[in-house]
Amino acid sequence: MTAPVEEVEADVEEGSAVLPGTPWVTLVWNDPVNLMSYVTYVFQTYFAYPREKAEKLMRDVHTVGRAVVSSGTREEMERDTEAMHGFGLWATLSRQG
Amino acid sequence: MARRFHRTRRGLRAHLDDVERDLLTRLFDDVATMLGGDDADAPGAEPAEVDPLVRLVGLDLDSGRTPLPPEDPALARLLPDAHPGDAAASGEFRRYTESGLRDRKRDGLRRAAATLRRDGPLVLDDAEAAAWLVALTDVRLVLAERLGVRDDDDATLLHHSVAALPPDDPRGWLAAVYELLTWLQETLVESLLPG
Repeated sequence: MTAPVEEVEADVEEGSAVLPGTPWVTLVWNDPVNLMSYVTYVFQTYFAYPREKAEKLMRDVHTVGRAVVSSGTREEMERDTEAMHGFGLWATLSRQG
Repeated sequence: MARRFHRTRRGLRAHLDDVERDLLTRLFDDVATMLGGDDADAPGAEPAEVDPLVRLVGLDLDSGRTPLPPEDPALARLLPDAHPGDAAASGEFRRYTESGLRDRKRDGLRRAAATLRRDGPLVLDDAEAAAWLVALTDVRLVLAERLGVRDDDDATLLHHSVAALPPDDPRGWLAAVYELLTWLQETLVESLLPG
């Protein structure tokens, strides 16, 4: 039997903003089809991000090739990735870092 | 000749002529059919081979196999791997999400097609407009894959080469349809973007 591997968060300072547990991230990747305006619309409507933040993330996707659009637990990031696929965006999730 | 979407007091309105309406209806229906599932009424629908209980709960817990990405690259683009380079994790994600994603996409495409079958001018409420945006995205993703558009350079090349293709090249027609859908989507999203 194999014990589940758990990463020990030994150095989380008291009162730190870092939550215990390794956060996961949802990434959205650039693709040649989705319109810049539509990607902004998706980030505004699904994540309820203000326009400036949604546009900055959209530009990152377009110029850098990808952007971290949300972070949280694995389950939360699975939900966000599934939602992005629902909108037709190319999204993946991975462990941060 | 199509006229752009714009917001009116009654909703989001655009003008499409009969040929354009028929074309869009067919494209929405075709991609809905590609996604498979249980709409037996749909022309060309595949027979339902999925266990009704599996469809009900949206999970295929019995199957020991790791679900693979769809073989058709256009479908694989609509339902991409969530963990690239990790087939097991991607398969696990598929097991829990793919059936529901297919259902929601198909419902949205059917809903968009239904608005085109109504009499009178094309006027959408906000929920229908949201379904249209996703439906247009899904159709454009499929057309782009069929046209071999896989990166930004391909897209630019396509945009500039449409006029140069010989009139009997089917890619020219497909590309013109793609451009029409792109333009329609741009005008719809501009009318919808929250401040």
